This record gives sequence, structure tokens and C-alpha cells, in this order.
Amino acid sequence: MSTVETATSLIPTLPGAHYTDPAIFELERSRIFQANWFAAARSSDLAKPGSFRKVDVGGESVLLVRGRDGGVRAFLNVCRHRGAQLCVEPEGTLRNKIQCPYHAWTYGLDGALIAAPNLTSMADVNRAEYGLHTVTLREWLGTIWVCLADEPPSFEATVQAAVTDRLGDPAAIDRWAIDELAVGRRIVYDVRANWKLIVENFMECYHCATIHPELTEVLPEFADGYAAQYFVGHGAAFGDDVSGFTVDGSAGFETIEGVGAEHDRRYYAITVNPQVFINLVPDHVIFHRMYPMAVDRTIVECDWLYPQDVIDSGRDLDRSVELFHRVNQQDFDACERCQPAMSSKAYAAGGVLVPSEHHIGEFRDWVAAAVGRRTSVQLERK
Amino acid sequence: MIYVGAVSDIPDGEAVKVQGSVPIAVFHVEGRLYAIDDTCTHQDASLADGWVEGCAVECPLHAACFDLRTGLPSGPPAKKAVRTHAVVVSDGEIWVEESVAVEPRFPVGAGASEHA
Repeated sequence: MSTVETATSLIPTLPGAHYTDPAIFELERSRIFQANWFAAARSSDLAKPGSFRKVDVGGESVLLVRGRDGGVRAFLNVCRHRGAQLCVEPEGTLRNKIQCPYHAWTYGLDGALIAAPNLTSMADVNRAEYGLHTVTLREWLGTIWVCLADEPPSFEATVQAAVTDRLGDPAAIDRWAIDELAVGRRIVYDVRANWKLIVENFMECYHCATIHPELTEVLPEFADGYAAQYFVGHGAAFGDDVSGFTVDGSAGFETIEGVGAEHDRRYYAITVNPQVFINLVPDHVIFHRMYPMAVDRTIVECDWLYPQDVIDSGRDLDRSVELFHRVNQQDFDACERCQPAMSSKAYAAGGVLVPSEHHIGEFRDWVAAAVGRRTSVQLERK
Repeated sequence: MIYVGAVSDIPDGEAVKVQGSVPIAVFHVEGRLYAIDDTCTHQDASLADGWVEGCAVECPLHAACFDLRTGLPSGPPAKKAVRTHAVVVSDGEIWVEESVAVEPRFPVGAGASEHA
């Protein structure tokens, strides 16, 4: 990847062009975001029959719709007739149909073609062949995951394995009962940075002592620079004088019912490639979904999830939310600081990873393999 | 009389189409059966494919609503009523007596009776 000799403590990052080249971003859209499972929304975002949400998945517009039967389905947002986009609003409620605003081809909430002008006079048309194109969908952790691949990779061997690999035990994640938690707060960040800068930032804690003073107060071992993601089954311990995962270390809420002593007073962080981060703390879960919009722009939708009774009690969530909101702002500021420099000739061959960041090398290699390796000669021609 | 099928063939809230001089839709609403012309008077679409709300059916295309008892539209975009027809049930079998034969407004679809 780089012709520069490096000390063994330092291994290379991706070259700068991987963060700035629109052509590489297009490859990532088709080979990473369309090829893998993509967390498209929180299941509760589709609250009732007819609720829909439009999501960009690797450049394809995907409609998520809750049907009259209560089930969620995903469709390509394209009319089978002449290709008009069916929905242009980001979200909303459909009464009983998905109707193209162009010629009124009309589909049920299950995607079946129900009616079209003069269709009753076209006896040779088999309606079953002209339903909306469905997208493969799974619900897990209260999250709607879709995959645009013709043959999706195993959900168990990718998404669920990523969680198990981090926690060291396939049953551990169930202790938080994430599908039963409710959204206490959602903050959407519009980050002017390539999605990989955000993933790589999330994976390491070498920066923690420098840019996350509040987080490092709560989790003192983060001052050593080793992220929870460096280890398997390791949760970063709360400081002795810390009562809860809050901006000032004051008490949070009751520990979630299923979380036992071994996971209490600890912080766990999981990356599910390519666009999900999950933080587990005793009394809540922080769930990030990234939506890469352009080579230099990423929307991050972050949900703070709590047991329903905590939300119903009307207790103040602010100190609980503020800690990781501040961490997010600090992280995204750092990513936005890097983005303009990615196109500098100083970064053409990339940078380096220190030992506490070496696990990012696996992510780097996964991305490089997916888009196909580029030689330094090709990069220099750009 | 036009044979429709067994009462049990039409689930509550659903309709079947049969062929009279024009396609006719027979609806089942909470134990009662209603027969009306199947084609919306606004644009060619099958009312049997629409949605039953109380004693009305909503056209799937442009949401014109017709009263299943009278055939009258509740408002735009449809202006003209659909005809209603007498329904006879005998030994659990449904028959429709078409009220007055008319010329079809549109070519009659060959697949008209296959949709339930």
C-alpha cells in the first residue's frame, strides 16, 4: 500500500484518495453498502400500519413500509411502470396504498400491484409480475436491517458475528433487550467527513485523553489509549468515584433488568461493519446508524435507548444523553478536521496507525478488499 | 341470475368479481352482501380491488368512494353513481340479479372473474 518503510509499531492507513475520490465512493456504495446488511431505521420509527421511511442505501432509494398486517417490508422506491420515484418525502404515513404520482399505478402496502388506469382492460397482464421490487429485510435489536444484494450474506455470520466477536458471548447482547428499549432521545449529526474516518475514529481510543475529557473521567482506563474494541469481552470499567454513565459521573438510572453484575459499571462498544456503532452501558444503549451521503459527507443518526418505564417516568435524560452527545461532537469535529487534509499531497500515501490502533488495520483491509486494491501508480495518476 | 359462489368464499371486507353485461363486484361487509358495478365511473379501475370502509368502497386509483347500498359517490373525483344489483342467497350460494343491462363503457377484461 505504501512504499515508505515504517517501523513495526506503525502500520499504514488507507491512502488519502480513499477518503476523497468520488469514484472510490461509488465502488463502496455498490460493493460495501449494497452488498452487506445495512441498518436502515429503528423498528419503532414505523409506528403503525402505513408508516413509511425512505432511506438511501448505497445510492438506491429504499422504502420501508409497515403493512396492514403489522409487518415491515422494504421495496425499491421505483414504479414498475415508467420508473418514477414513488415517495419523495423522507418519512410519513400512507393510508392504504403506495401510489405513483405520475400515472397512478397503485400498490398495496405489501408491494403488490393492485390497480392501474385501464389495467382491467389488459387481460394479458399478470399483476403478480409487476409488484414492487422487494428488498431483503431482517429485524434485530429493534432495528430494521436491509440488504440489496441478490444473495445476501448470512446475517448470522456478519451482523450477529460482529456483536458476538466483540462481547465474546452470543447471548450477552440479549441482556440489554435492545428491541424492547424505547428511543429517549435522537440526535442527527450531519458530518462533513468520509464515513471511514468516522468508523476508524470510533474504533480507537488513542484520541480519548486528548479530545474526550468527560468520557475519560468516567472511564479512566481510556487515558491509556486502548479502546474497549481492542479487546474481546472487555468492558471499560467506570471510575471508582463514578456513579453512572452521565456527563458529570453522577448517578444514571436503574441498571437494565437483564444486565448482571459482570456487565454492570462497564462500557462496551461494538462496530458492525459498515455503518453501525453500539454502546452498551448499564442503564441505556446508544445506537448509531451512519448514512454515507457523499465521499465527504455522512449523516449519523444516534438513538439513546432506555427502558420504557424510565421514559414514562418523565425523569430528566439530559445528563445521561449529554455525555455521549459531547463525545459525538468531539469525534465528528475531529473527523471534519481530517477530511480537508485527506486530499493533501502530504497524505497521498496515507498516514500510520500506532499499536493501540492496529485493529483498525482489519477494517482497512476489509474495505480495500471490497473495492479492489489500487496501486500507488494509479493513485499518483489522479 | 349470475352465480357468484359460496357465501364462505368471500371473507369479510373483501369482494369478488363476476361477469354480467359489465363486470360486477360483490362485497361482504359484516355479514351483509352488496353487488355494484365493478368499474369506477371516474376512470377504469376495479372497485373490487379497493378498500371497504363501513358501507362504502374506496376506488384504489383516485380514492372515489361509493356507497355499497346506493351506488352513489360520496364526492369527487367520481360524479356518476355505479349501479347496484340485487343479491340472493340460497343454500349458502350467492346469486346476483343484474338490475338493467347496459353497454360496457370499456372493453371487458377476460381475467375479470379470477380475482377474489
